[in-house]
Amino acid sequence: MADKSELFPGTLDMLILRVLSRGELHGWGITNKLEQLSKSALQVDEGSLYPSLYRMEDKGWIEAEWRMTENNRRAKYYSLTRAGRKQLEHEQALWDRMSAIIALVTQSV
Amino acid sequence: MNLLRRLRHLFRRRQTEADMAEEMRFHLEQRAADFTAEGLPSADARFAAQRKFGNVASIQEQARAARGWRGLENFVLDLRLGVRALVKSPGFSLLALITLGLGIGANTAMFSLFNGTLLKPLPYPDSAQLVRVYRATAQNRDGHFSPADLLAFQRAMPGHGEVSAYAIASASLAEPGHPAEFTVAARCSANLFSLLGLRPQLGREFRPEEDTPGRGRVVLLSQRAWINRFGGKPDIIGRSVRIDGEPHEVIGVLPETFNDWRHLGTVDIFRPLAFTPEQAADRTGTYLRILVRRATGQSPAELASFVANFGARLAAGYPAVNAESSWRADSLRDRILPTAAPAMIGMMVALSGLVLLIACSNLANLLLARTMARAREFAVRAALGASRTQLLRPLLAEALLLALAGGACAVVLASWFHDFLAMRFRDNGDQVVIAFGWPVLAWAFAASLVTAVAFGLAPGLFALRLDLNQTLKSGGHGATGGPGHRRFRQFLIVGQFTVAMILLAAAGVYIRGLHELNNRRSGWESDNLITGTVLLPAGQYADAEKISAFHRLTLERLAALPGVASVSISSFTPFFNWTDVRKFFVEGRDRPQPGHEPAAAVNCVSPQYFDAVGTRVLAGRAFRERDNAASTKVYILSETTARTLFGGENPIGRRLAQTNGAGSDDLRWGEVVGVVRDVESSTSDANPVRFHLYQPMAQEPRRQFEISVRTAGVAPASLADSIRAAVASLDPDLPVRQLQPADLTIERANSGTAVGRDIISGMAVLGLALASLGIYGIIARTMAQRTGEFAIRLALGATLGNITRIVLTSGVKLACLGSVLGLLGAVGAVRVVAAGNPNMRMNSTAVLIGSTLLLVAVALLACWLPARRAGRIDAVNALRAE
Repeated sequence: MADKSELFPGTLDMLILRVLSRGELHGWGITNKLEQLSKSALQVDEGSLYPSLYRMEDKGWIEAEWRMTENNRRAKYYSLTRAGRKQLEHEQALWDRMSAIIALVTQSV
Repeated sequence: MNLLRRLRHLFRRRQTEADMAEEMRFHLEQRAADFTAEGLPSADARFAAQRKFGNVASIQEQARAARGWRGLENFVLDLRLGVRALVKSPGFSLLALITLGLGIGANTAMFSLFNGTLLKPLPYPDSAQLVRVYRATAQNRDGHFSPADLLAFQRAMPGHGEVSAYAIASASLAEPGHPAEFTVAARCSANLFSLLGLRPQLGREFRPEEDTPGRGRVVLLSQRAWINRFGGKPDIIGRSVRIDGEPHEVIGVLPETFNDWRHLGTVDIFRPLAFTPEQAADRTGTYLRILVRRATGQSPAELASFVANFGARLAAGYPAVNAESSWRADSLRDRILPTAAPAMIGMMVALSGLVLLIACSNLANLLLARTMARAREFAVRAALGASRTQLLRPLLAEALLLALAGGACAVVLASWFHDFLAMRFRDNGDQVVIAFGWPVLAWAFAASLVTAVAFGLAPGLFALRLDLNQTLKSGGHGATGGPGHRRFRQFLIVGQFTVAMILLAAAGVYIRGLHELNNRRSGWESDNLITGTVLLPAGQYADAEKISAFHRLTLERLAALPGVASVSISSFTPFFNWTDVRKFFVEGRDRPQPGHEPAAAVNCVSPQYFDAVGTRVLAGRAFRERDNAASTKVYILSETTARTLFGGENPIGRRLAQTNGAGSDDLRWGEVVGVVRDVESSTSDANPVRFHLYQPMAQEPRRQFEISVRTAGVAPASLADSIRAAVASLDPDLPVRQLQPADLTIERANSGTAVGRDIISGMAVLGLALASLGIYGIIARTMAQRTGEFAIRLALGATLGNITRIVLTSGVKLACLGSVLGLLGAVGAVRVVAAGNPNMRMNSTAVLIGSTLLLVAVALLACWLPARRAGRIDAVNALRAE
């Protein structure tokens, strides 16, 4: 457990948007994907995904649609909107700049 | 988009919640399936999945918060709870609803009256620039102008604004195949419509050259006349109609917006003034109303001082006519209703505010009682940690619901009131239309909201001040209310009775005053009297001989009708104010400065007049047939005139001179031959002229005259048709207007006042009912709360009478205090009514005493009903219950 990290505040949204940028997914699928991509290194309540999803849905970054899964279960699929794509680019750029600055500072001291 | 989505969530909460639950369930099941696949038993797998997911309820709460509008959702919840609570106690809800609906309804109805009369702008562009000019004299503050005045004013005006004038009179309108009818007609300057900013809907307006004699036989019709009399057909333009017996060409139809009853809207036909040279030189006939559109850049004050200076110059230049007159400019906006109307309407709105106040205090009391009954519930909730807002919110929600429902009731009531007004005015043949629109609806709901917040919060604040410990300890009885609450309730009773007193007094003076007016037959008799107005057109009846000939024929024909006892004609009826005011002086006394002579209202009458209308001759004689154009002029004085002018001397044989107003040379000397009883008008408007003077109709034949027929043995109304036919047989173009029994004419003339009386009486009844309901409720509850105390008193030997007396005095004392305080406001209300109806005798002292007695009686009754229950107190059981 010691090698698991908590998320920086506000970064969950960006991660979700990033995951969704590859194609639409339901909540469970997003959880799985995050787990897979982070190699299970993230320490986060799986449920906390949902408030984030609803907030972003309200903001119009993602939109949702109820559809059937391959296993014939009803599930809510989220996909990125154009505004969401823009938001992702924006946050990504912000993040890149931030980490570059941090890297710069920590290396020069 | 965002807002829409949120609203959708709000109103489809159930769906959203279900979606959220399903989504999370799916997630948990998938996770559990994963764990099962890893080899966990299914129960453990479910737990593990939940652990990994986090606290479902808390996440759902976060999710709801993320979706926004928690407050609104809670509010909706509060409203739902409120509905449930109100439905659960239907008695309380119904009472509160009725109270609120009546209170706000009365208030909204009065606001709609205010809105429709005073607030709604006139239908003219830039109507703020429009100004009416008045010529004030000692007899008439709002006098009008002579043609010479108008022309001089027009010449002086350029730079200050544009001037227009009009004169309103009646005319007979006849088309082929229809009997002639009276219409309200106006003659106006050619520029009147362009000055107002209105263009005819059909045809054209007057051309300047049509405002000259000989070319003025053109007419513009109002929309109403066009539709009602000519079927609304567009081929009316160019058609010829006969007005006062002369053919006129219809050149246009005015738009519907012009039918505003407050200004010119009652006029059906407009013709150009087209002064002849003699008319243009006339300085004495003041019949023109002047309207000015202020030039841009000219301030109201500048125009007012210009008008006043012009009037002063005219008074100096022509003292014999204008010495006592002054000119004044008023904004048209301020003058669209009779002078006293704004104060009257203001008073009605204020009174309706008082009704609302009574209703509100009842409501506050009801809500307070309800809150106190639920005190234990509040205490428990507070003890469990409910915050102040959480305690207040459901109370506010309930009040809000009540207010909304009350507002809806109020709108219904106000629209009923609106129909009532329309019906009353229509039945009386008036064109008054009160607008009912958005402002009224807005008012109703704004009033409800204010009420809800104010009177929903008051008991809520009480809930906040609750002493938890005390309330919880006191068991299930609910709070009995400390001294603060008792004082509050006493204050409410006193306030209600104060207000009820004002309402009652206002209604009382109105009822009494109008009753007296409608039944005032001062100096004449109305039994079996039928009267009607005839106006001879100037065209065919150009000179005195023709008019006199027509008078003689009319009197002959009418006297020959079966069932007629006596017939007369006169320029005025005894029951309305005489508007023909002239100056005169007495022979052998110092003559006052020209223009400063005393004024008298003059009535020209036929010899039978005093006999026909029943005015007694006190001294000397009535007029005779011999008093005609060829004989010496004779006058008859009213008794007040005779007494004031001659004191104890015998007036018979004395001589008076009437001035014609234009100069000192043309004096009409005449001899006083008789004195008759005073007559007094039966309408509520002021009559500032004290002196009444009669002269023979034959010596000054009038084109407009009143027929008075006293019947014998038949109902006066049954003679109307034969009178009409007799006049038409002399001239088919002559209608007889308002031909009806004198009693009816008086009642119709006072119908506007009657509407005012009914409105105020309605509010007084409402206020009294609400106030008695209030005091009844409070005394009844006091009874219930003091049962234990009374039981002890009874056990200690008090009699039932003692208990009843305690209860009675506690209520009646408050009611008396309120009534006495209300007397102050009542005197104010009586003054406003008196100012609005100067000729009304209201006997305010009797009304005030009567109102006080009535109020105390009502309070006694309202207290006695619950006090009676003292007899039913079962001392043993009551004490055991303690």
